[in-house]
Amino acid sequence: MSLYVASTLTNVALISFLALSAYLVLVVGEVSFGQQAFFAIGAYVTATVTAIFGGHIILALFLSTIAGGLAALLLAALVIRLSGLYFAIASLCFAELLRLTLLRIRIPLEIDGRSTGMDGPEGFSNIRWIFENDFEVTDFLILTVVCLLALLLLLFYFERTTVMLRARLVGRDSLLAQSLGVRPDHYRMAFIGLSGMVAGFGGALFALFNTHIEPQMFGVMLGVHALAYTVIGGLGAPLGPLIGVGIDIGLLESIRALSEYRMIAFGGLVAVLLIIFPQGLLSPRAVNRLWGRIRRRDV
Amino acid sequence: MLKLTNLAKYFGGVRAVDGLDMQINKGEIFGLIGPNGSGKSTTVNLICGVFPQTAGTIELDNVDLGRLAPHQRIEFGVSRTFQNIRLFGDLTVWQNLWVAWRDAPGHETSWLVNWFGSPADRRHEIQKLLEFSGLGDRADRPASSLSFGEQRRLELARAMASKPKLILLDEPAAGMNSEEVADLRNRILTMKNLGMTVLLVEHVMDLVMSVTDRITVLNFGKPIAEGTPLEIQNNEMVQEAYFGSAKNVEAGN
Repeated sequence: MSLYVASTLTNVALISFLALSAYLVLVVGEVSFGQQAFFAIGAYVTATVTAIFGGHIILALFLSTIAGGLAALLLAALVIRLSGLYFAIASLCFAELLRLTLLRIRIPLEIDGRSTGMDGPEGFSNIRWIFENDFEVTDFLILTVVCLLALLLLLFYFERTTVMLRARLVGRDSLLAQSLGVRPDHYRMAFIGLSGMVAGFGGALFALFNTHIEPQMFGVMLGVHALAYTVIGGLGAPLGPLIGVGIDIGLLESIRALSEYRMIAFGGLVAVLLIIFPQGLLSPRAVNRLWGRIRRRDV
Repeated sequence: MLKLTNLAKYFGGVRAVDGLDMQINKGEIFGLIGPNGSGKSTTVNLICGVFPQTAGTIELDNVDLGRLAPHQRIEFGVSRTFQNIRLFGDLTVWQNLWVAWRDAPGHETSWLVNWFGSPADRRHEIQKLLEFSGLGDRADRPASSLSFGEQRRLELARAMASKPKLILLDEPAAGMNSEEVADLRNRILTMKNLGMTVLLVEHVMDLVMSVTDRITVLNFGKPIAEGTPLEIQNNEMVQEAYFGSAKNVEAGN
């Protein structure tokens, strides 16, 4: 496998974590433009743990996941009374606030003669975990894909449980959900928290793969893309967001002739797809119909 | 069982419900009727906690429902249907019932089973509920693909799935033909036989008069009469509220 293909695929897998986290928020009916914030938190936590403290990758991934989840819970707790447009704006502000804060924090360090640590706009350099552990690009691809598959399996299982079904109710008709005894606020909090964990985990891998991260990487466009992947892929199943990522990075970016015009091509594609499939490719209805055929009656 | 005392709800200057006293006994089918805009649906919404009352109290089995959040009221045994059918259209019939399911008080399963499991006895009970509503062969169809009458039946079944003590039916016969109304009558009587107390808000008088034990008539948010169906039919004030008084008719001419 060529280096280019391997690194493109790794990027697809990494961004998939972010798309899946946007998906979890969309499931409970909120639109978040701020998932990149939790991705960034995961990335910076892992960078700090591995590059500065020389911590183990498992510890780094674990802490990143927790940190992403806690940050998301914080956002959720602050704005749980808001919904719809207001939640979208609040999440965007939260992410931008974090990015601007990261631009301001300068704690440059020198470890083994290499500059590292958070250094404002210069970013966090020399996250050398993959070099120190002799990870080739393909090795890292395998690691990322295995993690992604594990997450997908978990989500697939989750998808057929009562708790997920109820979360979807909250997203679709929160008054009706309430009149069936489901507490919309609790589900919103929990799912936003989960989305933060997923994004934090993805961000951790992102930092390890890139070896250098900087606040500009976690701008608004990253969050908008993550959201767009889910919207075109469909909300029906966790595969939806992955299809979206695949279409954008996998297809568009890999066609070199298109790569310069990727943003334009992607924008046009989103528009066309949403006209043909307003609910996304894997809409809940389509997925339910498929499931009905494959396996009668579980939940 | 359900006791409304001096219940009131004002929307700005509009007095949707204005001093409603009502008592429903256990096992009763109680009718709440009145012209459009007389406050019937508002009363249902107040009992469910969709919005807080302006004044008065709502007590169920001597517990003040006003202090409970909407979801707690469901847990306490209140369930409802909606005037405009409200189902999860892209979920299947089965899933619509599944999410509304509640274990009988005292027989709760653990939250783990509740969230992630799919216990056999619950499937069995839901299957029974499906058969009761005549939707047995529709279980895996999306709710939106059902006919109007079937959707109404599914709503009714869903309201029963939480095993309520008190079930509030908000115009369940709206848009039904006479055959479907007759079918609905039987279902409401079955609910009574199953030990549920029913509050029926309805415009279809044939149904109300033939199925209820007692009736309260609302007009402009105020109760104007209460009694058995026969008493209500012969009540002059009720006739006036619905048809206008003889005097008005003369004046109109």
